[in-house]
Amino acid sequence: MAELTNPVPDAALRLPMQRVDHPSAPSRAGMMQFKQASVLPGFNLALGYTVVYLSLIVLLPLSALVLKTTSLSWSAFWQVVTADQVMAAYRLTFGASLLAAVINLFAGLLVAWVLVRYEFVGKRLIDALVDLPFALPTAVAGIALTTLYAPNGLIGEWLVPLGIQVAFKPLGIVVALTFIGLPFVVRTVQPVLQDLEAELEEAAACLGASRWQTFRKVIFPATVPALLTGFTLAFARAVGEYGSVIFIAGNIPFESEIVPLLIIGKLEQYDYAGATAIATVMLVISFGLIFLINLIQWWHTRRHGMRK
Amino acid sequence: MLLATATVQRSAATREPTWLRWLLIGGALAFLGFFLVLPLLSVFAEALRKGWALYWQALVEPDALSALRLTLLVTAVALPLNLVFGVAAAWAIAKFDFKGKSLLITLIDLPFSVSPVVAGLVYVLLFGAQGWFGPWLMAHDIKIIFAIPGIVLATVFITFPFIARELIPLMEAQGTEEEQAAMVLGASGWQMFWRVTLPNIKWGLLYGVILCNARAMGEFGAVSVVSGHIRGLTNTTPLHVEILYNEYNFVAAFACASILALLALLTLAAKTWVEWQAERQRALDARMAMDE
Amino acid sequence: MSIEIQSIAKHFGAFTALDNVNLKVETGELLALLGPSGCGKTTLLRIIAGLETPDAGQIHFHGEDTTDRHVRERQVGFVFQHYALFRHMTVFENVAFGLRVRPKHTRPSDKEIKRRVHELLNLVQLDWLADRYPAQLSGGQRQRIALARALAVEPKVLLLDEPFGALDTKVRKELRRWLKRLHEEVNVTSVFVTHDQEEALEVADRVVVMNKGRIEQVGTPEQVYDTPATPFVYQFLGDVNLFHSRVHGSFTQVGEHPIPNDSAVAYVRPHDIEILREPNQQTLVAAVDHVRTIGSTVRLELRLENGDPVEAELSRDAFALNRYTSGERVYIRPRTARVFAEDFTI
Repeated sequence: MAELTNPVPDAALRLPMQRVDHPSAPSRAGMMQFKQASVLPGFNLALGYTVVYLSLIVLLPLSALVLKTTSLSWSAFWQVVTADQVMAAYRLTFGASLLAAVINLFAGLLVAWVLVRYEFVGKRLIDALVDLPFALPTAVAGIALTTLYAPNGLIGEWLVPLGIQVAFKPLGIVVALTFIGLPFVVRTVQPVLQDLEAELEEAAACLGASRWQTFRKVIFPATVPALLTGFTLAFARAVGEYGSVIFIAGNIPFESEIVPLLIIGKLEQYDYAGATAIATVMLVISFGLIFLINLIQWWHTRRHGMRK
Repeated sequence: MLLATATVQRSAATREPTWLRWLLIGGALAFLGFFLVLPLLSVFAEALRKGWALYWQALVEPDALSALRLTLLVTAVALPLNLVFGVAAAWAIAKFDFKGKSLLITLIDLPFSVSPVVAGLVYVLLFGAQGWFGPWLMAHDIKIIFAIPGIVLATVFITFPFIARELIPLMEAQGTEEEQAAMVLGASGWQMFWRVTLPNIKWGLLYGVILCNARAMGEFGAVSVVSGHIRGLTNTTPLHVEILYNEYNFVAAFACASILALLALLTLAAKTWVEWQAERQRALDARMAMDE
Repeated sequence: MSIEIQSIAKHFGAFTALDNVNLKVETGELLALLGPSGCGKTTLLRIIAGLETPDAGQIHFHGEDTTDRHVRERQVGFVFQHYALFRHMTVFENVAFGLRVRPKHTRPSDKEIKRRVHELLNLVQLDWLADRYPAQLSGGQRQRIALARALAVEPKVLLLDEPFGALDTKVRKELRRWLKRLHEEVNVTSVFVTHDQEEALEVADRVVVMNKGRIEQVGTPEQVYDTPATPFVYQFLGDVNLFHSRVHGSFTQVGEHPIPNDSAVAYVRPHDIEILREPNQQTLVAAVDHVRTIGSTVRLELRLENGDPVEAELSRDAFALNRYTSGERVYIRPRTARVFAEDFTI
């Protein structure tokens, strides 16, 4: 949610940039020094507190998860995480998340474009409203979307005659995940479009490019890293989402049961080992996605990090 | 002056035809209308479907009130904890150079990408009846899971990075010159922090607090795992909404949901206001600098 | 290709950027638009390119009205102040862009594009950078690539907006000479905008001095420097001393020219102030305040009896003959001056 103003790029960018900014600032104690000398106070206190708090709240609990998993033998672990019902849930969760992220990729680019480029009545209101999915509790979003898309709902009743059922079907999951991931692409792409110099587009026009060619060859490539970052963030959020999905999903095993729901189901049956095993798989995937985002940013900065 | 006008107005050469402009605006508004505005409106419409009297009754019902109280209590505990952490982490990370900084930043970001359900689960594994500390806690008659401390812990986990993530880039951009100047002028560490650092980051801090607050009040997945859903005791408002909804008590469910939706709208308004304030401050600074 | 600019006007809100501007750019010449910031020179350049639409007036390219023609079809090369290179493309792709976006039937083959791009990169002497990205180039290199990119579409007109504005002094001087030579080589009608008078005088065939949306003077570098048409041009192109006939009397009369009226102002460049040790009927008394040696010239800060400062400039050789010292009393006389009526306010 902090992606609101500084989409993850900031944090991720920091990784490569630090090394560029301070390649080897002269340090008296040489290369092995842990911290660069500074006259400012409070480093030990601040860092100490940060590390202790981080360890207690995040690292210790997460390592408990991993350790608990090791109580299962490898074959038992494998059996749990590849059971048919679990596999079906993976397919559904990742499939729906991917589809929702793709929808958000296009819609997000469109919304960001319109908000940056055009003037129209109510623009500021719309701009503020884009963050609604960040601010609205997921359970509220879940019941609202379900009511709208149910066969007798405001939108649902128009879709039923067309043979489309959304609520209580996998399609409903896609709708909920699209809602949840909506701000990510918009908020990562918006600043990039904002900062794109008008001169680049003028240069393209002078060189004879049509408006469409300019978009395709000049504007779009400039937004690709932000699009990818926003896409990955929306996808990562969707994979773990629970609150908004359970109301609209139907939650039928093999058909509309998502992975987080499966974990809860196992917990309610006191199958801690099973729940933990699946949770570990989810955790590894989260790590993988964070790594991917950092990689995108790092690759982009290395190649095109033009500073004025 | 000339330059400013020339860059604000896009030149004719780089503008789309009017029909395309309106098509794009229409497309974006239609998408946002279906996915944002309609769901938001439907919350209030459903809540008021049977009239104000029933709406009010649903809100003042004892379980609903106790859920709201618990939600506020949990937020009131989680928010200051993450506030102190956020400032400390941002101070260490933004103002100093040390090895392993990027790893630390990545770890702080971690809760963003962990599924809320997994976040709840890890605390069950630690403090639940069969968890690491379960037997010890049971022996000393301390309840964490299916009790308020568990809900607080899960909320703290979920909202952990919010304030730190707002402050780190802001404080990094501001650099350390002003603090160094304060030190040179003889300020103590606390004086420097209260008089120089804090005034500089106040908007970013407020922004982070608003976001953290919204998420803390609305968290569902993680809290749902550790709460136990005991009516009137361990039910937060989002959980209460779920229970009412599953009991087909739609009016009451949406009534409680409408309170949360109002809080969300309030959050957006506050957020926008803070953004405007920060923007205005920047514009003011820039103008003063120009006049020099 | 000649360019004719007829009665062009442009407003941004209440601000008048251009006010009835008329100008003819001759085929093959290198023309400088010179003026302080906000004088409308960049706006004029952008109107010629088709990046802005004028509120009134016409632009003719070789007699043909192009006022309403889209920038895409004008076949102008435009070099932006901050280069505007596409940062996700290599240098090669940047230069090739204009060729690649052509409609299929006029687009050269890949082989031909390759040949043309390398030819241009050779022309700007940067062929060895073809595979780099803009971020990996220095400012001067970026500027040259931007020029090569503009030339790739074989423009009929080359327009440059403060082409050296973002570069440091040394690189700027090198690039100036290089641009001059390049222009002689490709010989395309070129207009460049600058606020640096030295740059305009050194590079351009003709200089257009602009102020407040109007053209003050058009002429060769010698003409605008030696015979400025207005006080503004005089002041803008180098240092100048002002003498008021009311105050300084016959001093304002140079040679045989009579004073036009009793409220005239004479404009005298520092190097046109003659310093004498003896008075005559046209001299003014002055005291030497400071003497500074700056490179090959010596600058004297003088003060008249009424306290007005005057600046004079001598070559080192001339100074060596007389060696004025500070505090010394001297007599000054203009070698040449331009006299304007007093109410001709700037």
